[in-house]
Amino acid sequence: MAGIISGLEDRGARAVDGLAQLAARFSGGTLRLGVTGLRRAGKTVFITSLLHNLLQAGRLPFLDVMAQGRFIGARLLAQPDGAIPRFDYENHLAALTAASPDWPHATRAVSEIRVALKFRPAGLVRRRLGGVGTLNLDIIDYPGEWLLDLPMLGQDYATWSAQTLSLMQTEPRLSLAGAFHAALTAVDPGGPADETAARHLAGLYTDFLRACRDSNVGLSLLQPGRFLEPGEMEGAPILTFCPLPPGSAEGRSGTLAGLMAERFEGYKDKVVRRFFRDHFARLDRQIVLVDLLSALNAGEPGMEDLRRSLSATMESFRHGQRSWLNWLGGARVDRVLFAATKADHVAAPQHAALTRLMEGLMEDRMRQIRFDGAAMKSLSLASVKCTDSVLTRHEGRELACVQGIPRGRTQPTVIFPGELPDSHLGVGAAVEDRFRFTDFQPPPGLGRDGRGLPNIRLDQALEFLIGDRLA
Amino acid sequence: MKTDTRNQPGWAPPMEFDPAAAMPLPPDQEADGAIPLDGHILPPRRRGRGAAKLLVLSLAALVLAAIGFDTADLVTRAFAWSPWAGGALAALAAMAVGSLCVMTGREALAWRRLRRVDGLRQHAIRLLRTGGTGAEAKGLRRDVQALYQHRPALTPALRELDAAITDAHDARETLVLTDRILLAPVDAAAYRLVVAASRDVAVGTALSPAALLDAALVLWRNMRLVREIATLYAARPGLIGSARLVRRMAENIGVAGIAGGGDGLVVDMLGGTLAAALSARLGQGMINGLLTARIGLTAMHLCRPLPFPGDRQPGLDDIRKELLRLPRQVL
Repeated sequence: MAGIISGLEDRGARAVDGLAQLAARFSGGTLRLGVTGLRRAGKTVFITSLLHNLLQAGRLPFLDVMAQGRFIGARLLAQPDGAIPRFDYENHLAALTAASPDWPHATRAVSEIRVALKFRPAGLVRRRLGGVGTLNLDIIDYPGEWLLDLPMLGQDYATWSAQTLSLMQTEPRLSLAGAFHAALTAVDPGGPADETAARHLAGLYTDFLRACRDSNVGLSLLQPGRFLEPGEMEGAPILTFCPLPPGSAEGRSGTLAGLMAERFEGYKDKVVRRFFRDHFARLDRQIVLVDLLSALNAGEPGMEDLRRSLSATMESFRHGQRSWLNWLGGARVDRVLFAATKADHVAAPQHAALTRLMEGLMEDRMRQIRFDGAAMKSLSLASVKCTDSVLTRHEGRELACVQGIPRGRTQPTVIFPGELPDSHLGVGAAVEDRFRFTDFQPPPGLGRDGRGLPNIRLDQALEFLIGDRLA
Repeated sequence: MKTDTRNQPGWAPPMEFDPAAAMPLPPDQEADGAIPLDGHILPPRRRGRGAAKLLVLSLAALVLAAIGFDTADLVTRAFAWSPWAGGALAALAAMAVGSLCVMTGREALAWRRLRRVDGLRQHAIRLLRTGGTGAEAKGLRRDVQALYQHRPALTPALRELDAAITDAHDARETLVLTDRILLAPVDAAAYRLVVAASRDVAVGTALSPAALLDAALVLWRNMRLVREIATLYAARPGLIGSARLVRRMAENIGVAGIAGGGDGLVVDMLGGTLAAALSARLGQGMINGLLTARIGLTAMHLCRPLPFPGDRQPGLDDIRKELLRLPRQVL
């Protein structure tokens, strides 16, 4: 009964979203851009660079509205939702352009920003009618960890437990989960619901997640995300659950398993669903930032984890063509861009290979999105370009290398990070001698020329994502 | 009953080879550059070294030799009559020869520039088709930039292009940026030339009192238009260059996909006929104007150092509108 009611409620909310999207489109004023990406995929830097380039009308030659000289200007506005902190653009930019530049800190909470773009419409009729067009672009920044909660919406406690525990039975997770496994054998899921035991287990599970995150094996499928980045929910009882092995006690209230299942449902309801509804349900456009190079550094397990995480996450979004009739089905994302980030970590001739590699990795998901009717594109980009591509000679062969300042060093150096593989399959676990993609520092003196942060293909990404609304 | 292939000459039994000895199949030469893409100019034809060419060359040599002999004869006779007259005639002949040499040199230079533009375009088409790294397109971009180095009006565009292109752009992106930043203003100027010329022709045809006169006018204005466009894009074409341009235009006038709504001469003609229902002269003017526009657009295709991108091909639409406005302006 409750399920039916919540289903109805869901459907009602979705129809409201659809209607809202339709209305927003009708008035032509606002566009919600969803920047999705896992932890360390570069969401914050992407948003900062995007804003800086738009505000400075800078290095975006592929953005038609700029190329045709129709762009008038951009301005940051008060965001529509007053309850969410504002995206700290100024501080992030200051970190990038400081005398000793560094990347912004990891994001710990949701923030939002709205930028208004003014332009002259391209069409003769609209130019005669309106003169000047305005587009409000709403962008949300959030910890990437939280994104991984979305797949949990479609699971119940038993399924999630089984899936998580089976993942923990394989390396590299197995060796990191020793303490948790040991504690798990000592408890009886069918035993009485003991708060201390629950707390203890959840603590161990959180430690395991932290160990996974901090390990260098590139694990990204870490659920639930709030355990790692609790945000404002630090210490809330809803965050004290963990996967338990399946048993007969499931669902029976009063048992430990029952308690966990209850909290799991509560987490889904109060945390995940709210997060999704508030920030992702009404997206118009979506960019998926994929940090392929870090995953490649971790070898095949890292790639597989990345693929699984992203695939599962993308399932929550509703893609498809928008039309007048299907608003009942909810708001839809009608353009999706898959972007392999940190393209400046490899030399320019390898960018095409990087894009292909990502396409191979996300193939199933991309096919699904295309089938749903949304427009889709993939490219490799760098929000802030930290390196230059150079050629060096090595054993009579010319190698395309990158030149920049690696993190933690002060002098620029030339690095050949290795040749990208053709496919994500068969990369193997040990890749140390095949490639080593180094993280670079932002180059000193960023933004001093007043032209927007240097970037790679940020303009093409923007053209695909919002270009049609600036025409 | 089929014939047994084993009895045929050149038959080989199935067998196995060492893979190390195998060579990759050579790429299909025909496939590259044989078929123009939609809306692209045909590659310059390799003209046959046929009898016609031999005839022209030998005739020209004969005429030159005749003139040379006659002049030499004339000069000797003049010297015999008076050294002063002989000296003057010899000086005249030397001047004639000198100026001819200078003219030929200039023509050759202009001709070379036009050919180079052709070469640049072919190179660009190849790069766009196969893709490639930014370094491969860099030389091409420099060549295109060199064409416009001495135009003060394009200095900002040149500077902007230098600033826009980074080492991260691949060949396609480099060419697209060059096209958008550097060539777009030139395209706009060329388009204005075409519009102006087609209007001139339309008005001239409509107002000219004699048929022969307007034929001459159309011919003269078209030639001027082609020269103007060639000058704008690449270089002053010179006499032979102009002739070659006209010749290539004749080859391409159907190929160069002149984009635009209601494509095709039929629609243009219909538009003309509609105007002709109002006035025969006006209709003729329309048709001549549109033909001029087509010639101008083809010249744009031919003189452009990069191929027109599919979405930015100039269309006849604006010109048609402009021409339809004419009667109101004239009356």
